[in-house]
Amino acid sequence: MNKVMYLEFERCIGCRACQAACRECGDHEGLERNYVDYIDFSENRQTFPMICMQCKNPACAQVCPANAIQITPEGVVLSASEEKCIGCRNCTFACPFGIPKFDFEKNKMYKCDMCYDRSKHDIAPMCASVCPSDAIRFIDHDEMMQLRRQRVQMNMIEGKKPSQDDKWNYVPEFFGVYSD
Amino acid sequence: MSDFLTSPEVQNLIKPGEKLITTHCCYCGMQCGMHIRVDEKTGAVKGVEPRYDFPVNKGKLCPKGVTAYQTIEHPDRIMTPLIKRNGKFEKATWEEALDVIEANFKRIQREHGKDAVSVFGGVSMTNEKCYLVGKYARVALGTRFIDYNGRFCMSSAAGGFLKTLGIDRGATLPWTEFEHVDTFFVAGSNIAECHPTTTQHIWKAKDKGAKIIVADPREIPMARVADVHLDLKPGTDAALAMGLLNFLVEHDYVDQAYVDERCDNYEELKASVRDWTLERTSEVTGVAIEKLEKAGHIYGKSPRSVMLFARGVEQQSKGVDNVSLYTSMALLRGMIGKFASGVATMTGQGNGQGGREHGQKADLLPGYRKLTDPKAIEYVSGVWGIDPSEMPKPGVSAFEMFDEIQAGTIRAMHLMCSNPAVSAPNLPYVWDSFNKLDFFVVSDFFMSESCEFADVVLPACSWAEDEGTTTNLEGRVIRIRKVREPLGDSLPDWEIMKRIAERMGRGQYFPYETARDIWEEFRIATKGGAADYSGITWERIDDEYGVFWPCPSENHPGTPTMFKERFGTANGKANLPVVTYRPAGEYANEEYPVTLTTGRVVFHYLSGNQTRRVDFLSTMSKLPFVEIHPELASSYGLQTGDKVELRTRRGSIVVEARLTKAIRKDTVFVPYHWGKELAINQLTNPCLDPMSRMPEFKVCAVQMKKLPANTPLHINPLTVPLGSSVPFMADHAIATSCHVMDEEVHTK
Repeated sequence: MNKVMYLEFERCIGCRACQAACRECGDHEGLERNYVDYIDFSENRQTFPMICMQCKNPACAQVCPANAIQITPEGVVLSASEEKCIGCRNCTFACPFGIPKFDFEKNKMYKCDMCYDRSKHDIAPMCASVCPSDAIRFIDHDEMMQLRRQRVQMNMIEGKKPSQDDKWNYVPEFFGVYSD
Repeated sequence: MSDFLTSPEVQNLIKPGEKLITTHCCYCGMQCGMHIRVDEKTGAVKGVEPRYDFPVNKGKLCPKGVTAYQTIEHPDRIMTPLIKRNGKFEKATWEEALDVIEANFKRIQREHGKDAVSVFGGVSMTNEKCYLVGKYARVALGTRFIDYNGRFCMSSAAGGFLKTLGIDRGATLPWTEFEHVDTFFVAGSNIAECHPTTTQHIWKAKDKGAKIIVADPREIPMARVADVHLDLKPGTDAALAMGLLNFLVEHDYVDQAYVDERCDNYEELKASVRDWTLERTSEVTGVAIEKLEKAGHIYGKSPRSVMLFARGVEQQSKGVDNVSLYTSMALLRGMIGKFASGVATMTGQGNGQGGREHGQKADLLPGYRKLTDPKAIEYVSGVWGIDPSEMPKPGVSAFEMFDEIQAGTIRAMHLMCSNPAVSAPNLPYVWDSFNKLDFFVVSDFFMSESCEFADVVLPACSWAEDEGTTTNLEGRVIRIRKVREPLGDSLPDWEIMKRIAERMGRGQYFPYETARDIWEEFRIATKGGAADYSGITWERIDDEYGVFWPCPSENHPGTPTMFKERFGTANGKANLPVVTYRPAGEYANEEYPVTLTTGRVVFHYLSGNQTRRVDFLSTMSKLPFVEIHPELASSYGLQTGDKVELRTRRGSIVVEARLTKAIRKDTVFVPYHWGKELAINQLTNPCLDPMSRMPEFKVCAVQMKKLPANTPLHINPLTVPLGSSVPFMADHAIATSCHVMDEEVHTK
């Protein structure tokens, strides 16, 4: 798997299609493993999606006393294995992104696994498949690096980016790459 | 059932024992492509799989689309015909139900004439069904009273386009060109919530430096990143557009060569907007002059711009004016008929485009032919095999049908694919009208609020249980596939119409065995009309990812970009409008000091009859709420979560307050997806546009009152019974009355 999940919070429109789609993944038993929240609804409608960062050295796995959280050869951090999980919920407290969740009925944790049944075949996870604003993308590493450079490039062309306070005070001199 | 495999170059996850059936979402006009996962052995619906290769949505779906399959085998589905006896619905067979319908329709038509039976259609159905609704009303029932719920949705856009461009096709360009656009002017369209999968195209253009201008009373998600947010007062779009038109003229942004060659009436338009200086525009719309200037410069300088609008500008008593003025902005800039530029309305209903073209409208026949044109009557009568003299005259618009019920002209109704008990304005009046009907038949697949008024409910099947085509918001004709056999005793709407036609002794005009039979007749019926589908075949749709109408022959490539050489008017030139500004039908005054506007949330579709039943969607958005600016809220002592009573001249509602700075200080917003006591349309104003007959859902004057914290909210909106305690106020029963005051008062 040479692809990465690429998040662009600014693009999020708060539709929560990623959450609905997460439930649809075959291995997810109808439970969503990601979340979308408002930054501050009283101020504006900015939302952000959060999925597992698939950390190289994941806090959830580190604190697991039963060694139940496994990492695949591709680097995907899986949900706790059913046989090993003792239901201590350490992982839910350790994760700085609030990703692992706990199923009290089955007494085990579950978390985002990048739709491993899909991503291991290089098919986009459900959240990235459906995200209507491309806030969540499943792309090649090279494409990701190019996207990051493009950001910088655009800022240089425009001189400055409009901010929340002065966005309408900004006179454009540049129109699209296709402009005459 | 027709299978359709995924494209060979696209990788999809196909689980063992399952197959994918390629179709489209049932909800909005985007008609996003999707695969439905079906169990190979049992045929049961298992889930959804993205359809990465469909060019409009590229696999993307909104939460409604992701969960759409859950409505197909939902436990709430109506499984058998239901007949109301002693106020209670009892299960019945098709024969029993049809007996009752036949007896009542025949009795009422014998006693009160053919027009006493009416048909109210909808456009969340396939083209085949929408086409047949018009034929069913005119041939099987012989009534002139036929109209459809597009009057609450698309009719102002249609009116505006017909007036200026001569042909009403929702978009003059395909969505796939969006990424090459330089400026989007988004007016009254909450794209992120109502057509979320369009966002990807706009963001892609923005990545390349495109500018976004948003005109909306709320800071909608797209306005958050827009270059200019024109936060206008609800109902002042015409003023904004005229101000900007004047700005384009004054700053020499007009493409003079294009206007000279392709537009009529330019000098008159110029003269009519001359008085709309930025100062006056700012005073009427409440938008700062600096913002108007920025927007004008961005739009004026942009070499390729797209004007996008939706219900925000259309659902007003001057919706047609708004549409034709915004369209004129694109015309003055020479944008229509060119690559990556043009004008588009964001069609709200699944088949809002196709459904309005083929004879569901009171004054239209298939192929966008006019019912007042003797040649059109002759042609369509020929296709239908009836005598032209049998063709009924034009009827009245959807909301005016309720006036006819109150007047006693209409005594029976067959309602299909619509839920006006939630979606019409001034609901107390509508509910009373339903109660006044002598006989009321509803076809639906869930027990809607309108069904509860019915004498007979017929179980229609869902979109996934029949073959057919729809036309998406671009004008692209696409294929809907049958995913499973109809559940229980349910039948496709066309089969229901056919059976009633047989009972009315008109069966010989409805000899259809499959939806495809209707499609073939429909192609001939549209031949030569403005919306010509005659060259489109189901095979071509599969091969070409949909075909754009007009497509007059099978070797015609279809028309993705409209008006390349000429417009649809008689002389081929666009008509620039001359508009006298009219204020909204009702606006804030001392007694009703706040402006109410209504709209959608991302989790629900129209009257919510489907989406309120889906677990994920109802969890995410259970009840209506009112969005209030903290400054306005503080003058009422309101906090988030407080209960508020909103009251207009027509009705009242209790909702929870949600405070946000992302809305104007003089405006509140309530979504409209709930019925009965939770329906905001109890409050909305049925002041109609003079041309499109569109009610003014988007503007009305409202009082607010803080209520004690222990005021009960209605917990289960699906089961709140609607008894005789309907708060119907006879004083306010004059349906189309508008409180028009003079403009001076308004602009203060």
